[in-house]
Amino acid sequence: MKALLQKELRLAMHPAALLFLALSALLIIPNYPYYVTFFYTTLGIFFICLTGRETQDVLYSALLPVAKKDIVTARMLVAVGLQLLQMVIAVPFAVLRQRLIPAGNEVGMDANIALFGISLMMLGVFNWVFFTRYYHNVQKVGMPFNIACAVYFVLLCVAEAAAHIVPFVRDKLDTPDPRYLAEKLVVLAVGAVLYALFTLAACRRAQSLFKKQDL
Amino acid sequence: MQDVLTVQGLCKQYEGFALRDVSFTLRPGAITGLIGRNGAGKSTTLKSLLNLVHPDSGDISFFGQPFLGHEQQAKQQLSFVMGGFSYYPMKKLKTITAATRPFYTGWDEDVYRRCIQRFKLPEQKTPRQLSDGMRVKYALALALSHHAKLLILDEPTSGLDPVSRDELMELFLALVQEEGVTILFSTHITTDLEKCADDILYIKNGELVAQTGMRQFLEEYRMVSFPTPQPPKQAAEKLIGCRPSRTGCEALVHTANLPIDGAEVQKAGLEDIMVHMERV
Repeated sequence: MKALLQKELRLAMHPAALLFLALSALLIIPNYPYYVTFFYTTLGIFFICLTGRETQDVLYSALLPVAKKDIVTARMLVAVGLQLLQMVIAVPFAVLRQRLIPAGNEVGMDANIALFGISLMMLGVFNWVFFTRYYHNVQKVGMPFNIACAVYFVLLCVAEAAAHIVPFVRDKLDTPDPRYLAEKLVVLAVGAVLYALFTLAACRRAQSLFKKQDL
Repeated sequence: MQDVLTVQGLCKQYEGFALRDVSFTLRPGAITGLIGRNGAGKSTTLKSLLNLVHPDSGDISFFGQPFLGHEQQAKQQLSFVMGGFSYYPMKKLKTITAATRPFYTGWDEDVYRRCIQRFKLPEQKTPRQLSDGMRVKYALALALSHHAKLLILDEPTSGLDPVSRDELMELFLALVQEEGVTILFSTHITTDLEKCADDILYIKNGELVAQTGMRQFLEEYRMVSFPTPQPPKQAAEKLIGCRPSRTGCEALVHTANLPIDGAEVQKAGLEDIMVHMERV
């Protein structure tokens, strides 16, 4: 697995995927749909898979002395690494946003703990929708990404709308930290669990699909 | 001595094409050419060997062990190259090598360095900056560096100029003699095989129609030509793939069916055999 991860970083990583990590800084914009911030890692993952098709990365990997399921695991570990790294990098910007600009986000959800929890859940859903379609046929990257994006944006719209119209979200979750800390921590924990479950399920399903696929 | 590769009853059904009951073995230290026209099933056969294409049925064994269940051990001892080296066209060779090296338990850095020098491969360049011939050589360098005993190459000479093809054939011969490797390569450029192949596998419409030694295969057939536009009636049923020629007509014939009255007989080349058999 170590060799496969090294190969992912040396040969398959797209520079834009790393560059997008810097977009965690979007959380410092006073008024912005902050859920969009975490969308950029999904775009980075799409670029990695798209470039991988052009460079025949999947075929090269399949010819190496490794199990086919490990090829999937390595790619998904890279995706998880990027997603979690973006979260970690975003934390200081969320703190800065709250310290420097006390006013809430006019557009939607504040840059707070609950935002991270709900974003994790959304990324988990993205992983399920994208990877289970991508590994059905690795030659088709665009359609799985389009479908996964569409689902992500529906969730994003619902989450942003909820910050305006659902009383619990509007009054408790869409507030500066540390107000309603317990509720927000529960949302973060639930988001993290859902992210792990969706991603793990996606990985198992993708491994099974990739194993059966003719390259 | 143990066969390097044994294939038994390989079948794969596609819509409009089927690989039917392909069986063959590879002798250690031999160069085997897999020939057939485009779409005959050469690439499907080769891909099926490594489960890149999943056969519907059939048994494949490398070095005496079934491939399924021993996939990783088998891949440690072989190398599969499709075309030239068409992977990661924008990455430097040294980066690709650095990423590939950790996968092989038997990686030998000294051998790799020697190959780089022998093939004059510039490690700072990318595959995109290399000629087609150099890309194949890079793939061979990687294969030799992990002491691959079997090289499987799908159309390695396709797109190469005659000089580069000749160089590559010479290299194949040297690898067999010096390193003792076994080579299986598919091609539709039959002249390449005449220079170096020991054995021939001929695949036609998804079926293996010949599996034999190169010399024996060439001895089995002769070319016959007639000065008339049509061959004599009594000879017609002995002829294979009769076609008009500049001076009359010509066809392939089994050596056992000779002599034929009024026919001028010549030795048949691999291309003659393939061209006439494909007309049937």
